[in-house]
Amino acid sequence: MHRTDGDTAEIEFLYRQHGPALLLFAQAVTGERCRAQDAVHQVFLKLIEKGSLNRVVDKKAYLFACVRNAALNEGKLRERNAPLEPDSAWFIPPDRDYAGERNLRCALGALPNDQREAMVLHIWGELTFSQISDLLGVSSNTVASRYRYALAKLRDSMFAKENSCANS
Amino acid sequence: MPTLDDERVEAYLKQFRPLAPEPLSTVGTSHRARRTFVLGAWATAAVAILVIGALTLPIRTDRARVTETIGNVGNPEHLMEDQPLTMRSANALVAKAPSFKAMVDDMAFRSQNIPLPKGKRSAVAVLGKEKIKL
Repeated sequence: MHRTDGDTAEIEFLYRQHGPALLLFAQAVTGERCRAQDAVHQVFLKLIEKGSLNRVVDKKAYLFACVRNAALNEGKLRERNAPLEPDSAWFIPPDRDYAGERNLRCALGALPNDQREAMVLHIWGELTFSQISDLLGVSSNTVASRYRYALAKLRDSMFAKENSCANS
Repeated sequence: MPTLDDERVEAYLKQFRPLAPEPLSTVGTSHRARRTFVLGAWATAAVAILVIGALTLPIRTDRARVTETIGNVGNPEHLMEDQPLTMRSANALVAKAPSFKAMVDDMAFRSQNIPLPKGKRSAVAVLGKEKIKL
């Protein structure tokens, strides 16, 4: 399939629009920024080679699924459950709240993988539970349950014990 | 149903924006290169138009000036009244005048057409009033 300028522009637009959330999601899966970056780039480079996303109905969910597959496939070659990087930032904090950013990162890192995926996909990926269930291959109820557990844990760790991560 | 606390926590979490990934080299480079090329082409065209305009304008002005001068050469009266005698105007007078003598006379009386300032008299008038005994 021949790639047109319109296809490239669309892919570039998708990269700008969803790139940050995709990178965050890949970081949540891989635990490393470099590997996450590689996974996101790999997906988009394949898209560019392939041509277009015209036949894809839900492009955003498709991109998240591609990034997850790329991150997991790449992770199979290495250690599957790598510890999350403690020092590299994941977010741009509001009002330069860098301590809050660190707390959030630590709280996310403390979550089980499936809960972290559900949290990142719903909050920052802005996917519905239905989309996440299709992406992860589990039911919507399971996704909602994982999300609620994750939210409760984040609330506890960030507000009740705000400095637990910094002290650890 | 999410409680109010859940919504507040969600709103708080959404304030943290994920970092953008590094630019995708292929897409970024190709589009940037194309954009640079297009901008460069427009800038080059604009500069070329300005340069051509700047070069053409003096040529046109000069041409108009030459045309005007040529037109004026054909009008010896104009030259006689306003301009000093030059080779060009003399040639024009020669071409225009019926004879060489007429042309010399025309040139000789040209100065009389020029009005003198107040309180001054021409040398010819002064000499004309003097009684010289020879």
